[in-house]
Amino acid sequence: MITVIKKGILSTGKRKAGQIIQPKVKRGKLSTAQVKRGILSNLPPEVAARGEAPQPSMDRRDGAGNRGRSYARGNARGRGWRGRCEDRGRPSTQPPPSTASAAAVIPSDAPPVVGTCPDMCPATERAQRERLRDLAVFERVCSDPMRTSRSLAVKKFCRTISSTGIQASDIRPLPVLRETMDYLWHLLNSSEYPFEIVHDFIFDRTRSVRQDLSIQNLVNDQAIGIYEDVIKFHILSHQRLARSCQDSDASSLCYLNTEQMMKCLLSLFDMYHTIHKINSQSNKEAEYYSFFVLLHMGCKIPKMANSLSFWYSQLPASIVRSKEMIFARTILRCYHLGNFKRFFCMIADEATELQLCLVEPFLNEVRARALMYLNHSGYKLQHHPLTHLSDILMIEELELEDLCRICGLEISRSGDTKAFAPKQTTFSLPTPLSKSSGIYISREIKR
Amino acid sequence: TPTPSAASGTPTPPSRRLLGSAFLQEFRNWETPWAMEAMHMVALEIRLLAEKADRELVMSGKNPDKLQAAGSFLMKVFGALAVKGPKRVGALYVTCQLFKIYFRLGTVNLCRSVIRSIETARNFDFEDFPVKDKVTYMYYTGRLEVFNENFLVADQKLTYALMHCNPQSESNLRKILKFLIPVKLSIGVLPRRTLLEKYNLLEYADIVTSLRRGDLRLLKQALDRHEDQLLKCGVYLVLEKLELQVYRRLVKKIHIIQREKEPSKAHQIKLEVLVKTLQWLGITMDVDEVECIMACLIYKNLIKGYFAHKSKVLVLSKQDPFPKLNGKPV
Repeated sequence: MITVIKKGILSTGKRKAGQIIQPKVKRGKLSTAQVKRGILSNLPPEVAARGEAPQPSMDRRDGAGNRGRSYARGNARGRGWRGRCEDRGRPSTQPPPSTASAAAVIPSDAPPVVGTCPDMCPATERAQRERLRDLAVFERVCSDPMRTSRSLAVKKFCRTISSTGIQASDIRPLPVLRETMDYLWHLLNSSEYPFEIVHDFIFDRTRSVRQDLSIQNLVNDQAIGIYEDVIKFHILSHQRLARSCQDSDASSLCYLNTEQMMKCLLSLFDMYHTIHKINSQSNKEAEYYSFFVLLHMGCKIPKMANSLSFWYSQLPASIVRSKEMIFARTILRCYHLGNFKRFFCMIADEATELQLCLVEPFLNEVRARALMYLNHSGYKLQHHPLTHLSDILMIEELELEDLCRICGLEISRSGDTKAFAPKQTTFSLPTPLSKSSGIYISREIKR
Repeated sequence: TPTPSAASGTPTPPSRRLLGSAFLQEFRNWETPWAMEAMHMVALEIRLLAEKADRELVMSGKNPDKLQAAGSFLMKVFGALAVKGPKRVGALYVTCQLFKIYFRLGTVNLCRSVIRSIETARNFDFEDFPVKDKVTYMYYTGRLEVFNENFLVADQKLTYALMHCNPQSESNLRKILKFLIPVKLSIGVLPRRTLLEKYNLLEYADIVTSLRRGDLRLLKQALDRHEDQLLKCGVYLVLEKLELQVYRRLVKKIHIIQREKEPSKAHQIKLEVLVKTLQWLGITMDVDEVECIMACLIYKNLIKGYFAHKSKVLVLSKQDPFPKLNGKPV
């Protein structure tokens, strides 16, 4: 049977002390998507959004893998896209039922909201959060939890928006969003605070940026550029969080990060598809598609709804045959076929910076698997020297020693050389959950 | 009712659907399924018309949303049929129509809810559905299993479809075989060339040959040549994984040759020999890479034995070094 995706209720990660948790969804509050539909169709949003057809149990919002291009969902295909970050409130992914009247078929030339907010954070929100002391550390003037400024405050992600409350002055137009993104990017590299805190802030604020883009239905080169930057952020976080993953809190951050990255990628693919129709193209497309493939190496990620096979079948041939995609497909194949030598060689030779960041947290898993095969199939009396292995698996010898120990392999010494003897029955593949042992921290890849 | 001819411009699916909706309303009220055939006819027509309408919309640069709407309508029809009682027997036909729509639109994850409805029925036996519906159902669900790489289940379903399919219907048989053959290959069952020729599935011919010969180069060439087509069907990844079986065959051939030359040492194969063989096939691999692959083959029980790292030798088990796959996927 097709794999089930569990509907996940996400938390937005840790809250810092003093930060007010978003109020729970009240009845009557609607998600952005519903609001958008409501505004555009001039119908009460509840009617437009309610589907009569039986609910498909696949919840595509939660990290479902999908085709590379926009698929029929919710509203008419190709009429635009819906960002996925705010879709949580949507009750149905079926098209509007025919009984909801002809107006439910949303006319594609209805004008979407055009934002007019000139700052990174709307003034009303700034004032409110100052009052409520709901300011992140980065937003405080002189560390005063009750003061912020135009240049420091960044609009927060809002899970639900009341349909009557949406104002153009609360939504940031494209140039402001670009500035916001640049500012957040600059913040990423400021190492004053622990990375988890920086990550949490940028995670939330970029989600809000995506939300604003989505409400305004912006699909063009700049919007795509912003999305690509957001994904870059997620990938860098992916790498850094994995490196510092010493406790369970960080590992849940990892998981949430990957999930959000997935949603972002899927939205981005929809956008690529939309601009293809007007014969435009991003020059980074192939690389971003390849990220989706590479994410399949991590078994921590919830299994995507449709398989990779299906996803390929929906992609244009030019993408599938691109250099970056061939790289991703090949190393995935090497991984499945157990060809570790080629796996690591290819990564060393061909991976782009971002691809490397993305696969880094998976590398130790691959190495552990390699040890498993070698341990199983090797000859008991001929030990496997660690130096040789560290070359093939591209890992420092000391790291390799640690890894062996974590896997339950005893290292033998003869003179200067360390090795492990195959056929040790104490071997066990470390479960993915044991992050505290640091197994998924990868080290330098020798180039 | 004869199918309305759409000779005059765009057919009008909305009005068709209104008609369908009205019929559905009445159908729901009738206790017996006496109008089932008519219901099915309505369902089929709606789908076909919607497909045609979408094509025309695309040609005139507009948004093709009719098929999607048809899917929505058919879901309602399904809802009316998938109830307890005599109407249920007609539900599978509508399910198949829905499958066709979802596959066409690429929204195959929507299949799941109808599948669940059909397969978790308590007071209804699947075998009670009409044969042709069962075949179509098994074909589509089999294809979904191929996408998800559940090969054993895919084998069951597609084989069922094959067995119960009308032997006269060559195009249907071909469709089933197109997906069944890769599944069978992955569990080690090879079709005869005559079968491939009969059903015009020669894109698999070279792949089958490479499996018989252990010709890695041929496999890679075949996959390359038909890449686009195989990717579109969703069988490319399945076939790619056959690489391991090809390696195994290669090793087996070397073993056979060595056995003829020097029986006493036949079970030891130098990794260097493998490297040379692959080189001869135009594939550059060093000894380390070959060792990796051998380790994997042994782990996955395609080869029985072990490799000695220092001496760079693969030592095969004296008994049954190449166990048969026995219907289990690699």
